[in-house]
Amino acid sequence: MKRIWQHPEEPKTGRRYWRSVGELEQRESFLKNLGREFPNGDELTEEERESSRRNFLKLMGASVGMMGLASCRRPIANILPYTKNVEWIVPGKPLMYATTMPRPYGATPLVVTTYEGRPTHLSGNPLNPSTPSGGLDSFAQASILDLYDPERSQKVLSNGKVAEWGAVEGVIGALAKGGGEGLAILVGAEISPTTRRLRAEVLKALPKAKLFQYEAINNDTQAAANKAIFGAGTRPVVKLDQAMAILSLDCDFLCLDSVSPDGQAKFISNRNADKPSEADKMNRLYAIENRYTLTGSMADHRKPLAASLLPVAAAALAVEIGKLGGNAALGAAAAALAATADAALLEWIKPAAADLFANKGKAVVLAGSRTPAAVQALAAAINDALGAFGPVIDLLKGEDNTAGSIADLAAGINSGAVRTLLSFTCADPVFDAPTSLDFAKVVADKKVTVIHHGTRFNATAKIAALHIPATHYLEVWGDALTADGVYSIVQPMIQPLYNGVSENEIYLALLGKKKFVVAKPAADAKPASAPAGPVEDPGYEAVRETFATVAGGLDETKWNFTLRDGFLKGTQAAAGGGFNAGAVASLVSAGKVPVAPTEQALEVVLVPDNSLWDGRYINNGWLQEAPDPVTKLTWDNAALIGSVTYRKLGLKAQKEGLAPKVEITIGDKKLVLPALEAPGHVTNSITIQLGYGQTVTGFIGKGTGFNGYKLLTNPGEFVLTGATIKATGDDYQLAITQEHDTMEGRALYREGTKEDEENFAQVTGIDSHIPQSVSLYGGQFGPKSEENPQGFDFERRHQWGMSIDLSKCLGCTSCLIACQSENNIPIVGKDQVQKGRIMHWIRMDRYFATPEKDDVDIDPKLEDLENAEMVTQPVACQQCESAPCETVCPVNATVHTEEGLNAMAYNRCIGTRYCANNCPYTARRFNWFDYNKRPLDELYWGPLSTPEKTGLKESMKLQKNPNVTVRMRGVIEKCTYCVQRLESAKIQQMQVQRDSKNFRIPTDSVKSACQQACPTGAIEFGDIADKNSAVFKIKGDGTKENPGSLRNYELLKYINTRPRTSYLARIRNVNPAMPGAKGIAAWSKENS
Amino acid sequence: MGNFFPRWTNWLPLKLAIAVVFIVIGISAGFAYYFTPKYTRVGYQPTQPVPFSHKIHAGQLGMDCRFCHSFAETSSHSNVPTNQVCFNCHGAGKGQIKLNSPHLEPVRKAAETGEPIHWVKIHKAPDFVYFNHSAHLNRGISCVSCHGKVNEMEVVFHHESQSMGWCLDCHRNPEEKLRPLSEITNLNWKPADVNREVFYKGLLDGLKKEGANEADALRDIAQTIPQAPKEAAPVSLTDLVALAKTKVGDSVTQQEVGLQLKKHWLVQPPDTCTGCHR
Repeated sequence: MKRIWQHPEEPKTGRRYWRSVGELEQRESFLKNLGREFPNGDELTEEERESSRRNFLKLMGASVGMMGLASCRRPIANILPYTKNVEWIVPGKPLMYATTMPRPYGATPLVVTTYEGRPTHLSGNPLNPSTPSGGLDSFAQASILDLYDPERSQKVLSNGKVAEWGAVEGVIGALAKGGGEGLAILVGAEISPTTRRLRAEVLKALPKAKLFQYEAINNDTQAAANKAIFGAGTRPVVKLDQAMAILSLDCDFLCLDSVSPDGQAKFISNRNADKPSEADKMNRLYAIENRYTLTGSMADHRKPLAASLLPVAAAALAVEIGKLGGNAALGAAAAALAATADAALLEWIKPAAADLFANKGKAVVLAGSRTPAAVQALAAAINDALGAFGPVIDLLKGEDNTAGSIADLAAGINSGAVRTLLSFTCADPVFDAPTSLDFAKVVADKKVTVIHHGTRFNATAKIAALHIPATHYLEVWGDALTADGVYSIVQPMIQPLYNGVSENEIYLALLGKKKFVVAKPAADAKPASAPAGPVEDPGYEAVRETFATVAGGLDETKWNFTLRDGFLKGTQAAAGGGFNAGAVASLVSAGKVPVAPTEQALEVVLVPDNSLWDGRYINNGWLQEAPDPVTKLTWDNAALIGSVTYRKLGLKAQKEGLAPKVEITIGDKKLVLPALEAPGHVTNSITIQLGYGQTVTGFIGKGTGFNGYKLLTNPGEFVLTGATIKATGDDYQLAITQEHDTMEGRALYREGTKEDEENFAQVTGIDSHIPQSVSLYGGQFGPKSEENPQGFDFERRHQWGMSIDLSKCLGCTSCLIACQSENNIPIVGKDQVQKGRIMHWIRMDRYFATPEKDDVDIDPKLEDLENAEMVTQPVACQQCESAPCETVCPVNATVHTEEGLNAMAYNRCIGTRYCANNCPYTARRFNWFDYNKRPLDELYWGPLSTPEKTGLKESMKLQKNPNVTVRMRGVIEKCTYCVQRLESAKIQQMQVQRDSKNFRIPTDSVKSACQQACPTGAIEFGDIADKNSAVFKIKGDGTKENPGSLRNYELLKYINTRPRTSYLARIRNVNPAMPGAKGIAAWSKENS
Repeated sequence: MGNFFPRWTNWLPLKLAIAVVFIVIGISAGFAYYFTPKYTRVGYQPTQPVPFSHKIHAGQLGMDCRFCHSFAETSSHSNVPTNQVCFNCHGAGKGQIKLNSPHLEPVRKAAETGEPIHWVKIHKAPDFVYFNHSAHLNRGISCVSCHGKVNEMEVVFHHESQSMGWCLDCHRNPEEKLRPLSEITNLNWKPADVNREVFYKGLLDGLKKEGANEADALRDIAQTIPQAPKEAAPVSLTDLVALAKTKVGDSVTQQEVGLQLKKHWLVQPPDTCTGCHR
């Protein structure tokens, strides 16, 4: 029977944390699922019930019949050894390679785990000077799934029909002859020295060809402004570890709008929350934005402001800084714009400006990469006034981008100058180019021959005369520069799975240095006995040639070191450029006059998506299913609308639990999509994530979301004004996980300010005034001793524990994807997510909080929701020492190990789900279906699912971690602290020590996948029996010598489950001079 | 109305009951014997594509197991050798042994085409079992404990049941199988072969290397000797050996070796699920 936890009543006054507006208002839809491990889980529709009954009878017959047959014979299994020894490969052991993921505006260094030549897991490369933290964001984590995507483009298509590589050879040959007449080459913004060199050679060989660059989510506005302000080719990189006061002008630098490689870790390095008394150790972040971003949620002070008014805010700030610094020119340039600022904004800006100025030389203002040129210019001028150039901002020399824009390309096509378009960009111009260019129509009207090269068969590929499948970056040789210019190598982990070619190889073909037909054996040919050595690969030779120029000669030792480390030492970009004050005034005055959005003329802000970026990851199931960090929305996008506007518009779904659909009109552009009430979102503003609603995509991406690009009219204008909105009367089902797995509605988050008592986390909340209950489960407690003979053996065993620092956690969900990749966690599809059956072992809880009120009525007003604070908390299995799940398992499938792990034996589990029911942290997941085996749209068909679609795809099998069981239907699974890594670390230690007693692995030498992925190092994991381990230092053991961190607390401590995972309370560095400072992260005194 | 049931039916219920008891016992016994790994696995001896004789190679020629299964000590998986390993002795320009033997045809063919030889797997752990060769070999468990005397097998067969219970028997009492690391691949090793003096000297040196002083180390070792008195405290290695001789007998026993190694190498095989299931 489920134990009914006797939670003490929560105080009715004081700070409240809530996950959704439904929880805040205690709506029926929220209350009915409280305390249930699976919302809606047992509610089948009439149709489902009927089909399941019928299927059951059918299946019983079939399976009884087949049972006898299947068990007659011993299945013969074979061992296939290598015929020739492969260098470095030891069957059964992982092999790590350093490589790099090329990305627009700066590459990401990686370490790839491979098993017998198949890459299975990605992690950051801490050796690379650009990314010393070794964290990795979720896009890069998930990109390994793209490699194995069975729907990745695999064949050459000529006008949509499968063609031979000979066709490519023919077309490329013809192009190479024409001198480039009428040829346009459209490329992405990846920075690769070899590609750049080959491109230049191609343009030299084909002098009449033109080069264009296009990214759907681009920083063209910023780049143009930077060119004027800093000089051509100059790239500002912010040293966030040097900044003590940061103000973000809609710059999501902690998530989607990077200003520096490894920026998250650098930012966090100055948030030393454990020593709140040392004021200078903790930086302060101000954020101005229209919607919640993760940067906003990390901010100490956040100002919700319509995106259209951002120039006003920047100008007001400039005026203030000008005043403080006696810089008349700065004030003068901004005065006109700043005049329109309202009192509330000024009240917020003034103390913020004073704080920035007080930190002169250690302060920086960051402007978002898609904000107007005026904001960019003002931010640069303010940074100059704050003395940021040099101490905080490095101006690095880069290559000047001389390629034309997408608008230039459209013009070229219109004028007839472009007749052939060779497209390499990862963006999809037919789908995502600004509508004013009418790209698809222009291309069709002018009968442009499109040659599309890409990994996805997207809208552009569909209209192309020739589509060439591209290789994934894990399949080819290449190189790339990180954002601060470190020369990093891209090396192949595996032969191209689907016979693709790289951009470099096409350039080489254009230069006559590569033939496709010879190099590519027919698909059905037997694998060659001797795989072609890298020496015969012109792509490889090209990279080595570039390397030779970068390294100053082809030194084999240097080359081998570069391959080992993944980068070439000493290649950071040199300093260059300088601040040109003269450019500021003209850029500021050239901007549009900002107008505040009104109810009649709303603003629409188009933003990149946390899952799809610009849409390129649409067919990536991991990313699609990873809940958006802010809205917790999966598989879709929605119009995010602030509470005031949402209620004023009277938006309400016809049926509880659905989202109302709205029609947004801007001029003649219309978009219908579901609306979502978003706390923290500014009034009269709508945010739409881009990338969804693609019609030409694979199985995963089909039918997900709505195309926000329909509203994007002009290049670079991501903030649109003059929109109207009306409800269409239809409803739409969104799969939002925010109300799933609630822990009985208990708010489990602890935060405070620097001014709070140091031990507030341990005495606030319910823990402070009730004694711990006696455990019913009689589990083991703490270290074994004479008084405690039942305890854990700390002397002769490892004892694993984890600590999560909420001060460092950004909520970026990178850990969640890393866990998915490491632990073979399946995706379940939108329908199942909506039923609460998501499988992620870590869930990223997101709470909003409203400040305490003095009066009795603590229900926040709608206006307060706009100022709601946001916090995130990752929750996985807490590995309770006295685990409630273990005692209820009828088959002992979940038991405790001698190392304090709450173990799960999948092959023993019979699926009663008692454990999930009894878990107070709702950390257990159940395989309702064979998610690995059945197609997501035919889950309910059981064994009757279409045979071709059934079963794990061959390519997907390659991605699976061989050390983790792939679970089947009917078993429970959950976080295991990456037990496979622990076991292999222990065995590694045995291999080294052999006949020795020294069983303990070197301190902190094993990392869980989430810990390894975390860009800010929020997760510490290790052996709490090892007094030198980081996790022991945080947790302590209650003695005077080892008190541990005062911020350390356990979730639901009073029910005495003794979790091995604990949390460190979050600290905000509040500026008392700011408006509303008193309410931020403040606990009621009565509450403590 | 006459007697509807004939007289013999009076005993029918009893007969049926007895029959049911026998049938149930028979079925249970049958299942217990024929449907357990002890019966279904032991003796499994498939024909291999290459008639490779372990008896000749490992037995007569005395080749070490690790010559071919080279990664068994470093990896979870004990690898089957590549063609190149075979050709070290059988290859042209190398050992030239039986260069043109028809038995080696599949090996030559594999080398030519690159298509690997399809060896038939004999010992097969289920997918949810993560067995690790290196963890066992580096801690004193010999090949022979799980695979039997392969050096005497013309064609390899499944020697042990390798059921979960069989694994746990050893995980709970590892002293029954532990042996010195130098004897791991010596499939003919017997505890009686051990030179007691050398063995205890090795243990003593090991403990000293880890920082124990000699007297403590001697006492520690002495107290682990089976039937040794709790207060045993030999003052020298000779004393220690003499003590063992009086308590255990002239020849070294498995229990003697096993208990010492278990204690002094801190052998603690996992007996909870995560040791083998992940």
